[in-house]
Amino acid sequence: MIGISVVLGFYNEYKAEKIVESLRRNVSIKAVVTRDGKSYQTDSRLLVPGDIVSLYVGDIVPADMRIVECKELQTNEATFTGESFPVEKSSERLDVQHPIPQQLKNYLFMGTVVVHGSGRGVTISTGRNTEFGVISTSLTRSHPETEFQRGVKKYGSMLLTLTLALTIGIFSLNAAVGHPLVDSLLFSLAVAVGLVPELMPAIVTISLAQGASRMSKVQVIVKRLVSIEDFGNMDVLCTDKTGTLTEGRILLKDYSSLGDDKDPRILSYSLLCNTAVVNERIVGNPMDIAIWEYAVKNGVYENASFTKVDEIPFDYQRRMMSVIVKKGVECILIAKGAPESVFERCRYAEAGGKIESISTVLNSINDKFLNLSKLGYRILAVAYRFADVKTSYSTEDETDLTLLGFLIFTDPPKEDAHQAVTKLKKMGVDVKILTGDNEIVAGKICEDLKVPVKKVVCGSDLIQMSWTEIKTVVEETTIFARITPEQKLDIIKALKANGHVVGFMGDGVNDAPALYEADVGLSVDTAVDVSKEAADIVLLEKDLLVLADGIDEGRKIFGNTIKYILMGTSSNFGNMFSAAAASVFLPFLPMLPMQILFMNLLYDVANMTLPTDNVDEEYTKWPKRWDIGFVRKYTLFFGPFSSLYDFLTYGIMLFVFSASAPLFQSGWFVESFWTEVLVIFVIRTRRIPFFTSRPGKWLTLLTLSCVAFGTILPFTFLGRFLGFTALPTEYWLLLVLMVATYLLLVDAGKVFFYRICRF
Amino acid sequence: MVPYTDLFIWWAASISSSSVFLTLVSIYLYMDSRARRMEGSRAAASTGNVGKNFIFVWVLLGLLFFYIFSIQIGSIGIFAAGNIVVEAVLILYLMIYRKSGQI
Repeated sequence: MIGISVVLGFYNEYKAEKIVESLRRNVSIKAVVTRDGKSYQTDSRLLVPGDIVSLYVGDIVPADMRIVECKELQTNEATFTGESFPVEKSSERLDVQHPIPQQLKNYLFMGTVVVHGSGRGVTISTGRNTEFGVISTSLTRSHPETEFQRGVKKYGSMLLTLTLALTIGIFSLNAAVGHPLVDSLLFSLAVAVGLVPELMPAIVTISLAQGASRMSKVQVIVKRLVSIEDFGNMDVLCTDKTGTLTEGRILLKDYSSLGDDKDPRILSYSLLCNTAVVNERIVGNPMDIAIWEYAVKNGVYENASFTKVDEIPFDYQRRMMSVIVKKGVECILIAKGAPESVFERCRYAEAGGKIESISTVLNSINDKFLNLSKLGYRILAVAYRFADVKTSYSTEDETDLTLLGFLIFTDPPKEDAHQAVTKLKKMGVDVKILTGDNEIVAGKICEDLKVPVKKVVCGSDLIQMSWTEIKTVVEETTIFARITPEQKLDIIKALKANGHVVGFMGDGVNDAPALYEADVGLSVDTAVDVSKEAADIVLLEKDLLVLADGIDEGRKIFGNTIKYILMGTSSNFGNMFSAAAASVFLPFLPMLPMQILFMNLLYDVANMTLPTDNVDEEYTKWPKRWDIGFVRKYTLFFGPFSSLYDFLTYGIMLFVFSASAPLFQSGWFVESFWTEVLVIFVIRTRRIPFFTSRPGKWLTLLTLSCVAFGTILPFTFLGRFLGFTALPTEYWLLLVLMVATYLLLVDAGKVFFYRICRF
Repeated sequence: MVPYTDLFIWWAASISSSSVFLTLVSIYLYMDSRARRMEGSRAAASTGNVGKNFIFVWVLLGLLFFYIFSIQIGSIGIFAAGNIVVEAVLILYLMIYRKSGQI
């Protein structure tokens, strides 16, 4: 045990180190720093608070910093906040009470990426003091206990109490009735050993290893074996949105004219008014890339006949860009940008080939734009006008435009996400969305996935709640929007405190603490390294349906583990209880210590194939929990069945066969072994009668082989060595009848027990 | 019954104690379930009527008396025949529950 503890301790430390190392790799970057008026490049690890850092497109932000100046600066904070779209930054002062990271537009976070523009910031915090660092620190603590581990611990305590009580009781009683002290001690110790399910670690490990192997075939990699059973028992799955439920990339969903038609010019104009560079790959601004991808996919672009004359680049004041293109003698200015900005520069609107003054239709255009925004889409407007031929153009030319239509962008849900969520719901798993993105976008995803939304709570609401309020609100909330990594962690903790087995699925840096805290941390192969390191289970395929397969597998493994525990504890308790009673009134020991230990060994061998046993379909339909109260009740109820038949055997041996000590011990050994092993077939299923559930072939084969071995044992040399003797023929007849009655009676007991004790 | 006659009373008491213990556990579980049902706990289940639920307890107590009787008279034939009858009753009981699918 000490060795195992050392190995486990080392493993945990090693894993924590790997996580930290992974974080370090992620942020080991160079930065252009200004100190004492001099600018030079340095390793980001050498930055200190107060350093001024210059940032350009493609740079990874090397520390948490306050922006002091910027020009069209946009960063990708998807891995940090869950926001799929680039975030516009500014150097202006903010007046926000209790800001969450998503609101800090004048702040840059370490590990995020500059995707547009440039800026300078003053370093506020570095290393472990950054938001990123706080996450890394939270991952260096030892892994929290899973629900399964907590259950095993409680079971261990129950068993320890039971064993101690029986051992002390048996020893005291035997000593009190005058049996030799050494014999009494050895007998009570043998009884104690008999009570301990020593094969449990092996059964659990074999089950978990086999489960992990089966799961790897469906591209699910289990990093922490112990999490498999919690995977099956999980009743709440909290999931990040971006990259897990959604594709994690921006797609042009559609384009829309102002009327009912769909003007193809919206698409061809937006391809012209586009900064993406198209070669073998399309690179550039995510939205421009999305437009090109849409066009390529649908084969609906035709702009070869246009020649680009000039470009008026995007800037933050205008929030739009324009290009001037020429086709034949015609010169067209095409503008694309934030709808509010484009509307201001439009004089006309075109719908169904009809051009009219924008003032007459502005209300309906605004309604259309707002409705699309409320559906969680990002919208860009496209407008044009015929321009005079000039050598250069400026923003002053962006006037009197004709509004043509909208481009509708989205981060679409994964294809199988709806099916996966529906399947999870059927399996009794409640899905909650925890995202750094806003509530409208999260709500849209829920709508797409047909997840009924009970309540939406934002990070800014959560920050003002007490722990008790959080524990209440997590029960009734489906969407947590604009939340920080710490809040994700709090939500997981609150759900766990409410007694749920909680899974968390995420792929970003901001998900790592929650992945670590959850009973089951699930990540995807495309996730950042830190998330994959913190997760217990990694899905190699984008196919979310494998989640259901994994849960099913976890439930089967838990089912077989629980079978062993229930069988072992109840039948051992029954046998040992009768052994204890017999040792008091019999003039000899009912079974020699060596015989008890041998039976125990044989019983364990019979159970070795339990991990391969079939699990009834109905058992895996709903999540199960470790319920120590249930195990206790089960033991108290089914244990005495076995005692009853042990006592009956005593009676037969003593009063029918007038047995000597060896004959008595042989008779009881065979009866006890038969009942203890064969009851597996009754207890392994809830079905009535038990033979309507088909046991695994290996379990059947090994169990019956062990029964056969135990039956012939008294006739063998080994049997004689253990102190057994041949049993009379009449005994075998009685034994068969007695064991058959016992098995049927236990099955009848199941009818009563499962009607009043649900598990 | 010659060598161990003096143990019979001990034995009868032991086998009775296990049956009585099981009966008491059944009553405890039944009462506990009723109490939880009254509290509206989701763990509680429909418990039906007492007589029907406790069929197996009646069978158990009947078996106890039969076992003590047959062992006392030391008849293998009676013991075997009694077991066969009880098995038939239990199979019938289980088949009824299979039909009703109450679990």
